[in-house]
Amino acid sequence: MIEATDLAKAYGGKTAVAGVSFTVRAGQVTGFLGPNGAGKSTTMRMIMGLDRPTSGSVTVNGLPYAQHKAPLHEVGALLDAKAVHTSRSAYNHLLAMAATHGIPKARVHEVIEMTGLEAVAKKKAGGFSLGMGQRLGIAAALLGDPQTLILDEPVNGLDPEGVLWVRNLVRYLANQGKTVFLSSHLMSEMAQTADHLIVIGRGRIIADAPVKDIIAGTRQAKTLVRTDDAQFLQSLLAGNGITVDQSEPETLTVTGLDPRQIAQVALDNSVLVYELTPKVSSLEDAYFDLTKDEVEYHSHLAGGPAGTQPQAAPAPATAGK
Amino acid sequence: MSTTIHNAPASRSAAGARHSLSFGGVLRSEWIKLFSLLSTRILLVLTFAAIIGVGVLTAFVRYNILDSMAANARAQGLEPSSDMLEQSMPPGSGLDLYNLPNAGLQIGILIFGALAVLFMASEYATGMIRSTMSAVPARTPAFAAKAIILAVVSYVITTVAGAVTFLLSVPMFQGLGLDLSWSTDGVVYSVFTGGLYVAGVALIGLSLGTLLRNSAGAITVLVGIFFVIPIAAGFASLIPGDFWKYVPQYIPSEAGGRFLAIGEIDAYIDPWQGGLLFLGYVLLFLVPAMIVLKNRDV
Repeated sequence: MIEATDLAKAYGGKTAVAGVSFTVRAGQVTGFLGPNGAGKSTTMRMIMGLDRPTSGSVTVNGLPYAQHKAPLHEVGALLDAKAVHTSRSAYNHLLAMAATHGIPKARVHEVIEMTGLEAVAKKKAGGFSLGMGQRLGIAAALLGDPQTLILDEPVNGLDPEGVLWVRNLVRYLANQGKTVFLSSHLMSEMAQTADHLIVIGRGRIIADAPVKDIIAGTRQAKTLVRTDDAQFLQSLLAGNGITVDQSEPETLTVTGLDPRQIAQVALDNSVLVYELTPKVSSLEDAYFDLTKDEVEYHSHLAGGPAGTQPQAAPAPATAGK
Repeated sequence: MSTTIHNAPASRSAAGARHSLSFGGVLRSEWIKLFSLLSTRILLVLTFAAIIGVGVLTAFVRYNILDSMAANARAQGLEPSSDMLEQSMPPGSGLDLYNLPNAGLQIGILIFGALAVLFMASEYATGMIRSTMSAVPARTPAFAAKAIILAVVSYVITTVAGAVTFLLSVPMFQGLGLDLSWSTDGVVYSVFTGGLYVAGVALIGLSLGTLLRNSAGAITVLVGIFFVIPIAAGFASLIPGDFWKYVPQYIPSEAGGRFLAIGEIDAYIDPWQGGLLFLGYVLLFLVPAMIVLKNRDV
């Protein structure tokens, strides 16, 4: 269980995390989703006590991380795949980490086997590929068989097999009653891995809800309707929180009614409808909806100056998918 | 890779027992970190050899000076006694023979200082520091463990190398009729203080590596303190008047050097005062480094 209360961090004058409060519960996989620079890593570093919050506080399993008697048994973290001395072998790296808590060598061998690093365990970590580095980072996080697992972009650089392995691993750990907190900027990955989502943008929490609610809730179900008499049907349907947009002649987009209700209205009024298509929104749609104003680093398709762009300006690149 | 990933991911056999963070564990961890690097092991062996090599070479130079003095005396029809030779080497002249164990000390200062810088700065350069501070979130124990291991390793290697240097050099001087042995005043003292001095330099190196987080910068500052400031101080002592003549003895390298010597010299601090002053310099770097490490974002 991770509990953050008004957690904030500013570097110099720049706000990275602006007073966020959230709870990550045990027994489920909680995704931490947001665009690059949204404050995901900073928040995770503050949970691990590596960065000192400017204000607010965060506890893991009831205590600030640094106050635990056996930190590695409470929390295992993969914060940065390259948090390893490049000239030291993977085995010696894990051995040195384990020694701090008196964790036996047998456990070191166990996590090496679990992460599939046997073949390269005696090689220098500096020569590892990104995927190998991720596996070593995950091995280090698992050393103390911790109650809470914090993984920052764990599937970065992994091959499809590795991605599947991480997905199964976090599911398995969550089913064992552990707290799993996983960050990513890939919504498709989150849709398949997480039970609950915390969406962050520009250092603020935008959404904190079960994945299915975010998919269903952020954008109401829409239905595409094609009819001979768009004008008349629009006047019949609109109102009472139901919006009807006419995008082309004979085509309406209805928000707030399901296809059956629309068909009923059309039937009662003898309007011919020749297409009724429910538009299912994906997590990806929901994510773009949520973050469209919160993306800090917009791509400039027109070749404008690099850097931040006024918030009011539309973000052409974020809509492309 | 592919053979194991479908296995149950987290078996609990070896992880079942609960272990907790202890200072002994942190010490063992830092020990593993230091000696699991091939470069460190090679460096330590070469340093040991270099301290002895440079030491014996320096001893040979001194032997040649004494030998030519004895030859001069004989040319003037005098038979040089060992007393005469010893009196021709006043304390502080740099030709004392009791400090032969520390003849190769400068090389030890340079290498152990640089090694200490790297022990911390390389963790910042590689990102290892985040793993270290996640495992030891109180941070100070990790710094203390590094300090203890560096101090012990540099002390032991310097002391043993100093003793070997002395053993190898003694036969040359016995050939001149000088009675030089472990019981000569100051020899044992030199062996043990030489190690302490190098350990102190290593602690300053560790502190600089922590404060600056950058190997090149920290080693430059370290070399500045122990090799450039003495030269500058040498020039300063040429300024007319008594004041500047006695200022250089208070710089870190001179205070440390005075600690290694025996005997009193007019207008100079005593060896024990030099030792205390040097200890003060060590703390001057060590304490801020610990405070900064404790509070700074990793």
